[in-house]
Amino acid sequence: MRTVLRVLAGLVLLGVIVAVVIFFGFTGAGPVPPASRDLEALDEETRAEMVSLGEYVAKAGDCAACHESEDGLALAGGTPMETLMGTVYGTNITPSEAHGIGDYSPDDLYRAMVYGIAPGGRRLYPAMPYTSYHAVSREDIDALYVYLMAQEPVEKPNRDADMAFPFNIRPLIAFWNLIYRPDPPEGPGPGLSAGEKLADTGRGAYLVDVLGHCGECHTPRNLAFAKTGEHLGGTVIEGAVAPDITPQGLAGRGWTETDLSQFLSTGLSPQGVMTFRMFPVLSHSTKYLPERDIEAVSAYLAQDMPEPSEPPSDPDAIDAHPEGHRLYVGLCAGCHGTNGSGQPSGSVPMVGNTTLMLDNPLNLQRVILEGIPARQLSGHLRMQEMPAFDATLAEAELEDLSGYLRARWGVDAIAMQDQ
Amino acid sequence: MTAMMTVFMTINGTETEPLEVPEDLMLLEFLHEYLNLTGTRYGCGQGVCRACAVIHDGPMGARVVPACVTGVAWAHGRAFRTVEGHADRDEEGNVTAVTPVQQAFLDHFSFQCSYCTPGFVAAAQALVERLEVDPVPAEDVENVVLEALNENICRCTGYVRYLEATRDVILATPGLTIGDGRAEGS
Ligand code: FES
Ligand code: FES
Repeated sequence: MRTVLRVLAGLVLLGVIVAVVIFFGFTGAGPVPPASRDLEALDEETRAEMVSLGEYVAKAGDCAACHESEDGLALAGGTPMETLMGTVYGTNITPSEAHGIGDYSPDDLYRAMVYGIAPGGRRLYPAMPYTSYHAVSREDIDALYVYLMAQEPVEKPNRDADMAFPFNIRPLIAFWNLIYRPDPPEGPGPGLSAGEKLADTGRGAYLVDVLGHCGECHTPRNLAFAKTGEHLGGTVIEGAVAPDITPQGLAGRGWTETDLSQFLSTGLSPQGVMTFRMFPVLSHSTKYLPERDIEAVSAYLAQDMPEPSEPPSDPDAIDAHPEGHRLYVGLCAGCHGTNGSGQPSGSVPMVGNTTLMLDNPLNLQRVILEGIPARQLSGHLRMQEMPAFDATLAEAELEDLSGYLRARWGVDAIAMQDQ
Repeated sequence: MTAMMTVFMTINGTETEPLEVPEDLMLLEFLHEYLNLTGTRYGCGQGVCRACAVIHDGPMGARVVPACVTGVAWAHGRAFRTVEGHADRDEEGNVTAVTPVQQAFLDHFSFQCSYCTPGFVAAAQALVERLEVDPVPAEDVENVVLEALNENICRCTGYVRYLEATRDVILATPGLTIGDGRAEGS
């Protein structure tokens, strides 16, 4: 009897061990394709080519969005990212041996980007967009590797993530990966290394969905922080609306493909200027994309887009919202114009403004209260500062003003038009 | 047709007559065209140079606003001080005594062409009045002055004389600072 029990216990234990091994095995890194070439034995010319392609991969992938340091060093780490579960900080990805990725092999970088698994099996939080990067090509990651290793190491220690229990138990990310991490596609293709060879929409999709990881902010997440099926459908993240950028969403707010290209390359379009976490996307990433890639991105975002709507305008809002109108003429019209036309390099037009057309007034109200700093956009294009009105407006006045703006040129004017 | 509205406000302590004006008239034009108070200057016209700054006396005390982009629709019923309203005047309206801020700007030769000066007078005066309510440690005065005058643009001088003049007024006026700037300052 005792022997039977002992055997049974042994079997159960074995089963548990096997299950754990299988589980963590499968939720660890998947297959790693062989390196595109021997990175140890590059001639000068190839190395230089890979460094410049790698730099482009880093820009298109917007590594700096999260890996920038507090003092503006692009890859030294420190940018906080706030989630419902706590705050994670972008890590040092300079080739520092002590703090960065100096001891990474090319395979290690592949595993981190595609599977979210750092050397030693440490699981990265899905704030690292490996569910987007999962389809980055091996060629592109190799080029990125050569580029990153060619940078000056910065000896800056990483800051530990500040996550609430139980999210601070990293091995548990294995369960998350089991459910939410997509499998890397079979042979993701040659990526950016393909140059002209990749068809435009393919390249656009690769830039938007994979490298550019737009969905990390623009796709709604579920309670487990995983992106839902409403791809690019818009959501609230870090206290601001990341708008719906599906073809339907964009067309409903009057965007054309040309507007998108202008917005991505300069930060400014008839619909407004980049704000909140989108502005750094311009300064770290999209302003560096050559015209051809910008066009590929816009073409992909505007694929099968319905006819864009005309900018809504409802003059009846003046009588319907007298308080809001009075505040607008008294505090805003000096720059934005009584008729909402704006001024070049000074203030964006209210007519056609995308922020007014969002269902959620959050961004509008935050911009009014906090203002927007003066900014160098791309090239010689600048926008002057918008002052903050938090000390000027009482809460009820803010509601009056934003209610008026949305009724005059925004979401409620669209509703009136559609009636 | 521009919509009209009737406005009145208190300018330099005197309430204006109710006046019928276009509803989108800016305060600066109102001062110039309707009240003949031409001391407030028009520079950029878009809220960045502060040549047009005037003091709004509101519930929060004295605060500067750019008159070029502040509409009468908001200014209606409120109280403002323009550059004409700082000094003491006699019955006939002649200046009898300038304010310490104005005197300091003169003593320091703070301005040359003076186009920016009404805006600097407003910003420095508003700062002095803010410190009367909410004094700062003496060693912070330089920073506080820089912050308060930083938005005012002057094309002639190097700003330093405006900043030094304002700092000296603040350090010399009892009650605006906590501690002794000279003893603690470095
Ligand atoms: S004229 Fe008003 S700020 Fe320049
Ligand atoms: S003194 Fe001339 S602009 Fe300031």
